[in-house]
Amino acid sequence: MKKTVDVSLPVGPMHPCFKEPCRIKCETRGEYVLSAEVELGYVKKGIERIMRGRPWQEVMFLAERVCGICSVIHNFVFIEAVEKISDIVPTERAALLRVIVNELDRMQSHLLANYSYCYTIEHETLAMYLLNLRETVMDQLELITGARVTCAYIVPGGVRCDISAEVAESLKTALDHIDAELTRFVRIFETGPLIALRSRGIGILTKDAAIEAHAVGPTARASGILEDLRMHHPTYRLLNFKPVIRQESDNYARIMMRFEEVFQSTGLIRSALAAMKEGPIRGGGTIKSGSIRYRGEAPRGELLYELTTDNHGRIVDIAIQTPSIPNMQVCSHAMLIDAQSAADITSIFISSDPCIACTER
Amino acid sequence: MSLLQHLKNTIRSRSIHVAYVNVGSCNGCDIEILACLSPRYDIEQYGIYVHNNPREADVLLITGAFSPQWEDKLKPLWDKIPHPKVAVAIGNCPISGCVFNRPETLVDPPVSKHIPIAAEIPGCPPRPTEIISTILSLAPIIFKDYEETKK
Repeated sequence: MKKTVDVSLPVGPMHPCFKEPCRIKCETRGEYVLSAEVELGYVKKGIERIMRGRPWQEVMFLAERVCGICSVIHNFVFIEAVEKISDIVPTERAALLRVIVNELDRMQSHLLANYSYCYTIEHETLAMYLLNLRETVMDQLELITGARVTCAYIVPGGVRCDISAEVAESLKTALDHIDAELTRFVRIFETGPLIALRSRGIGILTKDAAIEAHAVGPTARASGILEDLRMHHPTYRLLNFKPVIRQESDNYARIMMRFEEVFQSTGLIRSALAAMKEGPIRGGGTIKSGSIRYRGEAPRGELLYELTTDNHGRIVDIAIQTPSIPNMQVCSHAMLIDAQSAADITSIFISSDPCIACTER
Repeated sequence: MSLLQHLKNTIRSRSIHVAYVNVGSCNGCDIEILACLSPRYDIEQYGIYVHNNPREADVLLITGAFSPQWEDKLKPLWDKIPHPKVAVAIGNCPISGCVFNRPETLVDPPVSKHIPIAAEIPGCPPRPTEIISTILSLAPIIFKDYEETKK
């Protein structure tokens, strides 16, 4: 970064608002931000290096531990990529169960992101409400998969375990509870005058800048870009998935975007439960050799797995591209510029929902 | 036991300040620490406060298999914490490296090579209740009668 002024303001790597270590180096005049750069490297583990040459049974668990917040989608995309290579098709019931678990994971990730944002703008009451609502989602995730975070639910050809009628019933009750509670919380967020002061018109990401930097996920959709990979996924197409977009392109839009996606996810889970028929949840198959680029929509945007397997089911080569990479770049180069106060640096950064563990792997 | 020590014990038992540091974790353990804050588990009813500021912390929660960037950073951070202090390793990663401790890896577990660890909570990730109960069972051992026993 070229030095233009005398005042450099480092934020991080340990900061009360950040879940993960990362450093934002800002150049400021007074509190006005002139330029910003995100410095990474604190949680680099070299997961892709460990993955190479290992059987898929091991890589499956490693892929899940790329990121703890969105672990289901990493499992989902990796397994579907391996299935595409080997011409394995999941059974109908398993495909719907995958969508249910994936949407539950998206809900808890979005609620956590909005919790972080509310905590950063010091609205601790709403933050705690959201964190408590997230526990309801985590309970359902645990009830279905048996684990709260790293559940390894999706396996080639299907899913690991079925849901019973009681579990489906408790899932429906939980969805009703979430819808009712979240409607209230969204109204608090929409009408709060102090929240509006800290959110509306702050951290603006124009559509042109978002297209230029290839922003993905809710960050891009809040700037009016219609881009959601779930539109192209066969199971989601079956459930008549329609992405939501907003045009305001500020902090407020990004947070409201995530709230709307939580409502959308509850709708998707309801229609998946309605469409579910009795049937097997595991199919058979052998992993063949081949290579593929496969993409899926993570809670933060487009997730890409590029992998090559051999005849013994080993992963010869693998590369992962996670959604936070473009989002963090566009955050530091477009959103943080012209921030009026140093307090907005963290709130703008958190509103783009960065996941450092995903980015560095 | 002096009156002053008695007073200190009483106050310390309800005022445990916690900082957490991620030295190369996958976020799984970090979000379980965050879940402890939620009204469901309500860590503050036990007098545990999460400020994430090492200079006012009593307990340092460490997550993650030690990544190379932290080699020269974790020890200074540990030194910044005032006595009496204690470090707790959360999850399998700081103990053994979990799935990341394989050939070709960049991480260098265990964390106990770098700073003294008082307690370890295995699990990938451990449940929030386990984290809270560990802090609660550890605190009296470390902080009770600290001034009288340190010599």
